[in-house]
Order: sequence, then C-alpha cells, then structure tokens
Amino acid sequence: MAKQLAFHIDNSACIGCKACQIACQDKNELPPQILWRRVFQYGGGNWVSDPSIPILYRANGVYSYSVSVACMHCQNPICVTVCPTKAMHKRDDGVVLVDQTKCVGCRYCEWACPYGAPHFDQTSGVMTKCTFCEDLLAQGENPACVDACPMRAIDYGELEDLRQKYGDIDAIEPLPLDRYTHPSVVITPNKHAQLSGTGTGKIQNLLEEL
Amino acid sequence: MNTREWALIAFTILNQMAVGSFLVLGIVHAYAMRKKGMQQADQLSDMALVSIVPVVGLALIASLFHLGNPINAPRAIANLGTSWLSREILLDLIFAALALVFAFMQWRKIGSFSLRNIIAWIAAIEGLGLIYVMSNAYMLETEPSWNTLATPATFYATAFLLGSLAMGAAFVANYAYVQKHNPGCASEQCELMRDAVRGISISTLVFLGVEFVTLPLYLATLSSAGQAAQSSLLLTIGPFSTVFVLRLVLGFLGAGVFGIFLYRNAASAGHEKTLGYLVYAAFALVLVAEVLGRFLFYATRVRIGI
Repeated sequence: MAKQLAFHIDNSACIGCKACQIACQDKNELPPQILWRRVFQYGGGNWVSDPSIPILYRANGVYSYSVSVACMHCQNPICVTVCPTKAMHKRDDGVVLVDQTKCVGCRYCEWACPYGAPHFDQTSGVMTKCTFCEDLLAQGENPACVDACPMRAIDYGELEDLRQKYGDIDAIEPLPLDRYTHPSVVITPNKHAQLSGTGTGKIQNLLEEL
Repeated sequence: MNTREWALIAFTILNQMAVGSFLVLGIVHAYAMRKKGMQQADQLSDMALVSIVPVVGLALIASLFHLGNPINAPRAIANLGTSWLSREILLDLIFAALALVFAFMQWRKIGSFSLRNIIAWIAAIEGLGLIYVMSNAYMLETEPSWNTLATPATFYATAFLLGSLAMGAAFVANYAYVQKHNPGCASEQCELMRDAVRGISISTLVFLGVEFVTLPLYLATLSSAGQAAQSSLLLTIGPFSTVFVLRLVLGFLGAGVFGIFLYRNAASAGHEKTLGYLVYAAFALVLVAEVLGRFLFYATRVRIGI
C-alpha cells in the first residue's frame, strides 16, 4: 500500500479545459456549486497602446496559465488538526477523508484549509471533499480526473516516486506557500509559472471557481 | 454573512459578556462585603449573579445554530489533542456548569461561604481560560486577520466592557427593586450601588482605552502581513468603513462619554434615576458597538491561499 498518495500536475501541458473538473463533478455526483476540483487561470501583464497607432494595443508581458487544484491530501493536513470531531482524518495511504457520520458541519476546516478543499453541503449539513476516488482506486482504476484529462496532465502515485520522477515543486501561484500544510503534490511548472510568493499576476477566473 | 455567522457573533459576545460579568461581580461583591458585610453584599449582587446564567445558556443555544449538523454536537469535544475548537467547547461547557452551580448555591445559600467562594474562584479562572482558548480557536495560521494578538486583546476587552456595563445595569435595576420592596436597607444599598457604578465607569474607560490602542496597531499589522491580510485591511477601510466608523463612534459614546457621565453622577446621592438611564444607554451603545466589531471580525476575514 502507498505511504502517501499524491497527484502529479503537469502544468506545462494543461490547457485549462476543465475536463478534470467536469469528470470529478460527474463521477462524484456533485451539485454545480460544489467543486472538489477547481481550475484556476492565473495571469498578468497588460496591454499598451502603440505610440504611432493608438488604437493598436500591444501585449506587454502578458502571460496566463491554468492550475488544476483539488485536495492536496497534505502531509500535515490542517483540516485534520483543527477538526473538533475527528470526522476529518488521514488514512494510512495518506488520503484525507471526511467521515460524514461524525461531521458536525461547523465549517472550521473550511476556514483553515488554504486550498479551499473542504466544501460545505447545504443539503446534508456536513462537509464534503475530494476522496482521491478511493472507490475507483479500490477497484484498481484511476481517479476520474486522471482518466479524463485529454492532455494526460494529471497523474498520481506514491509521493516519493512522483518526486523522483518529476521534481519537488509543490507550490506555484496562485497556490499558497507549502509551509502551512506540506501538500502531497508534484507540479511540473508551465514556462510562465511563478513560484508561490513571487506572483505578479492574479486569478483571472475567480468568480467561476468560488 | 448568514445565520451561521450571526450565531457565532451571538455565541462569542454572550460568552465573553458572561465571563466579564462574573469577574466584575466577584470584585464588586468582595468590595461590598468588606464595606457593609455579607448580607448587604449579597443583596447587591445575588440578582445580578442569577441573571448571568441565562446569558451563558443563550450563548450555548446560539452556538448550535452555527452547526450544519447539530445532531453530532456532542462529538465536538472529541479532538482535544489538537483542535482548539474542541478545547473551546469543553471549557465553555465547564464554565456554564460552574456558573450554574455557583449561582444556584449562592441564591439558595447552599453550602458554607468558603465553599461557595472556592467555586466562584474556580469559575472565574476557568472563564479567563475560556477567553484565552476562544481566541486561540481563531488564531489559525492561514487566517492572518485573526492570527494576531488583537484577537485575545479584543476578546478580553469585550468581556470586561460588556461585563462591566451589564453588571452596572443589573445593579441599577436591583436597586430600583430594593427601593420598592425593602426600603429599610435602601440607603446602604444606594451607597454600594453608587460605588459599584463608579468603579464600573472607570473599568469601561480603561477597556475602551485597550480597544482604542489595539485597533490602530491591528490595522497597521494587517498592512504589512502579506496579501491576504492586506485584503482584510482593504475590506475594513473600504466596503465596511461605515460599519467600522460606526463601531468606533458608538463605543466611544457608550463607554467614553457615558462613562464619564456615570462617574460624575455616581459621586453623590440623589441622581439614581439619571444613573439608571445612563447605564442602560451606555450598555446598549457598547453592546451595539461590540456586535458591529465582531461582525467586522468575521466579515473582513480573508484566508491565505485559494
């Protein structure tokens, strides 16, 4: 069994199509307002009017890239630390799950998690989150997001193996610095990607992904 | 803001007010006992003490409205090892139990004075601990607008500001009752009540000062504590600036201006009626100011990350 399951996100291949998000919604039967996997479009730069042809605007350092984010199944999951009921827990294979029969719906994990991974379900009154498709894993299948990606930009496996294969970057903008929770993720950065804390842009599609 | 967050405003404010009231009452009772003896001291403070119990009860009920799935509420103390929220709930339940037991014993004069005194001391210290734990529950590393010393400072200030004025209002109401039903001891009660209100007016001025020193330091901290903290600052002075200014003005009026009037009117006998109006008005103003302040506490929260 894995010690710490993790996702690999090939940010250099991601085209921001959100197939992973839709596959996640579909497989987990989530309502539209609950997004376990979100795809942020991060970008910056501006457009400058050409001095000789003022109606012509030229790109000035314009860049944009997409980051697919779900629960990071952190090595130091702050949601598990703060949960008063122990509903939020970390399995032996590193997957962080919420036991809805124990959850009191206080939303404290939602305040704490810097990845916005736990989502409150208004209907049931308890928290929900990415399960790493543990049911599919148990049948020897891949998580829905992994199989749905047309660019094959999402992979998963043992964290240590992924690090050896792809490096140890785990925080690019707009993700938070890794020091809060030590996320179990490996990112192959896009050529425009900026390391967390050095960002010059902003999330361009925030309202879509709230 | 939704029902669930208003529930937290009610829960934290009522709890802090109850703890502050309990401590203020203890100090006033000790003073009154030294000055006029136990019987007079009890007459001054017993009704006020009993009035604290429903406040604690209301706080607990309010907390349930915060939960999406209150059926699991008893599980909320399951993670004392790492969760400050679990610790907060446990300490809150202990405080509620101690306050209830002590108020009942004191009201019915059950047990010796020293036994009751010990329980009161335990409850008072437990209450101070509760506010400390309560502030820790908010001091999450990923919530920079909460993760500052302003959180415990304002929680304690809220406790003593509202506790002082709530007890002031209770003393005035109690005095009106005594005057009506037991005119024999009215003059001594009048003296104790005036002394208590005088002390309370000083305490409100001091804790207003604590708030007014904390707030600018807090805003300055936000301005230099990273992007999320700066967003909190921009919310405070931008979309929520009206609420912020209103909170400052009402707090200053209630605790500052009315506090000085209270101090002056409590100096000599004959102004009891004025004193009553003043202390009720001061309490109402400071309560509104504190509710607005707590509203801002939740409304301007911006978490680190996405």
